Amino acid sequence: MNFDLTEEQQLLEDSVARFVADHYALEKRIKLANGNLGFSAEHWQTFAELGWLGVPFDEEDGGIGGGPVESMVVMEQFGRGLVLEPYLATVILGGGVLRRTLEGERRAELLGPLIEGKLQLAFAHSEEQARWDLEDVVSSARQGGDGWVLNGSKTVVYNGGNADLLIVSARSSGGQMDTDGISLFLVDPKANGVEVQAYPTVDGLRAAEIKLTDVKVAGDALLGAAGKAWPIIEVVADEAVLALCAEALGGLEVLYKDTVQYTQERQQFGHPMTDFQTVSHRLVEMFMEYEQCKSLLYRATMEYAQNGHEAARTLSACKHLIGTAGKFIGETAVQLHGGMGVTEELRLGHFFKRQLVIESQFGNADFHLEKFAA
Amino acid sequence: MDIELSADDLKFRDEVRAFFKAHDYKPGQDYAQWRLDWFKAAREQGGWDVPKWPTAFGGPGWSPTQHYIWEQETARANLPWDLPFGVGMVAPIIMNYGNAEQQERFLPDIRARTVNWCQGYSEPGAGSDLASLKTKAELSADGKHYLVNGSKIWTTMAHIADWIFCLTRTDASGKKQEGITFLLFPMKQDGIEVKPIITLGGSHSVNTVHFTDVKVPVENRIGEEGKGWTYAKGLLAHERTGLAGVSRSLVALEKLKHQAGTVKRGNSSLLDDPSFRAKLAKLEVDLQALEFTELRSLARAASGQQPGPESSILKLKGTEIQQRIAHLTMEAAGPHMAPWGGIHVGPKFASGGTQSYLGSRAFTIYGGASEVQKDIIAKNVLGIRTQGGSN
Repeated sequence: MNFDLTEEQQLLEDSVARFVADHYALEKRIKLANGNLGFSAEHWQTFAELGWLGVPFDEEDGGIGGGPVESMVVMEQFGRGLVLEPYLATVILGGGVLRRTLEGERRAELLGPLIEGKLQLAFAHSEEQARWDLEDVVSSARQGGDGWVLNGSKTVVYNGGNADLLIVSARSSGGQMDTDGISLFLVDPKANGVEVQAYPTVDGLRAAEIKLTDVKVAGDALLGAAGKAWPIIEVVADEAVLALCAEALGGLEVLYKDTVQYTQERQQFGHPMTDFQTVSHRLVEMFMEYEQCKSLLYRATMEYAQNGHEAARTLSACKHLIGTAGKFIGETAVQLHGGMGVTEELRLGHFFKRQLVIESQFGNADFHLEKFAA
Repeated sequence: MDIELSADDLKFRDEVRAFFKAHDYKPGQDYAQWRLDWFKAAREQGGWDVPKWPTAFGGPGWSPTQHYIWEQETARANLPWDLPFGVGMVAPIIMNYGNAEQQERFLPDIRARTVNWCQGYSEPGAGSDLASLKTKAELSADGKHYLVNGSKIWTTMAHIADWIFCLTRTDASGKKQEGITFLLFPMKQDGIEVKPIITLGGSHSVNTVHFTDVKVPVENRIGEEGKGWTYAKGLLAHERTGLAGVSRSLVALEKLKHQAGTVKRGNSSLLDDPSFRAKLAKLEVDLQALEFTELRSLARAASGQQPGPESSILKLKGTEIQQRIAHLTMEAAGPHMAPWGGIHVGPKFASGGTQSYLGSRAFTIYGGASEVQKDIIAKNVLGIRTQGGSN
């Protein structure tokens, strides 16, 4: 039994933590979020140089051959900085699909640039009617000529406006809720018939609505076998859930620790606020919830590393707990900061908003409790 | 026990409905003019523009039941915007503690809604512990004016306000509740600097206000020097009873049900989702209880009794329920809670829902944070003697 990071993992954590400390002060983040791109292209290159973009990829692909623990380490530190760069969209989601579907030359053609920071991706999967049901796909793919013709709409696609390539899911056979019959395609956002409407999200990230009208793609745009994308979508979503939980945990640590500090400094009624038991007990509850989340994140990550998708039930448990704890810790942090808590001036407000959005990605607490109980 | 409205009450309700219908805003109308006309017409109804004012000052003299009906009906109607600071807050203080001259000078404009007020209470170091405020007011040697220096924070609508009612410290030697003086002065003058505070949803309604050598004539002081805390406390109690918002919550809950019905989930709607339904139902149960808590409180007032213990929980429960409705609305939007910046993606209510939720977090902070409210209930209602508490 050992919960310690290996030496390499510890080095990775230290280097991401140092980057966050150096580059993600609140004012810097706000500036980036409000900029043209919504993140820093320079940072993205730094990620490439430091090998972070290659974390989950095999060494023969140019990666560092990391597993779920390495991804967790990176995401948790990103969470502590509210990092804006589209790591989840490009490396975890997009890269997760590509490394499972591409072969030979094409694999090298795409994974190389991705790891070198020259290719950004977005996973255009979710549709409005689906909410979080991954199998609910009505966008269609039909064979035409020597390729495919795609039609449909994808919603809240993170990094959809900046991605060089989109990974689009569409139904090539079967009914709306069938797991069988879903296919994945690589689509150039500049291709005819692709309409991308990009916008900011409440947490300072970027997303897009994507409409596909008779979009013609070549035969080699199909990723994996036609109609057989479900197992890939499932595991990529598993990895996204783990990544989001790790990111959330990093944010929760900041939220509770900032509150512990603030309430000790803030004087009301001639005492530091922590002299009032109603305050100190709630700080303890925040801390307890945080530790529980951490335990379940470790459990989920380790089980996933061992058993892959068979660990899905524990992943759901983790996303559920992170969701409920995120609400409790976030709301309590705001409440105990009083008026300051509801402003954009302190970083905690920004961390709170990120927790809310994480709760809206890949299933909220209720959704995952239902899956856990099923 | 009887929960039926009397024939007179029903008649009153019909009159209110008829009034709202007859004076509703029509598309294309000049809003500002419609607003002033609306209040004028309400005044002609017999003081409907100032429902809570005593009859001596032109109020309608309604029974508690009539007030309840009014609140219920206004929650559904489209009323002109109105800030609470004038009619609801400073006016009662001027009526109770101001002199005849001040009443004549300030009340007519407040009533006509032609002058906007803001409230200068909280300070950077004085939030829940309001009485520790430090903004200094020094009387000039000739006794003709005060010189005000200091800072206020969370001052809602200070950037559009014409006047401020302000708690200032004229004496720091005694107990902190003593030595506080209540002053009124214009906002648009030298020495007053208003800086916006951007709140979580990115909107601007609160501000910090800095005073540098602001001259306030002594005739703008309400009541006696050093008695401002007593005057403000009466108002704070008033503020605490107005915030349950039961009628508005009932309307909001109905709206939420409708909205959830428009959210697709596969081939059905979110209303068929068992966990969402359970949360909606739980909210409705709590709100049904709160509605009758408010009615019990009203019934006591109607029969001329002192407010009962039940009235102390109205703000706490009311704001908690408002926050839960806001949260559930955001949750109903699912992945579409995130799109921001004036963009409309997914269900129609989505971006507004997130905005409301973020805004609702302040409900348990302003007007006395929930923690302080509970201290007050512990002491005043349960009779618990607290040590080192907030009161």
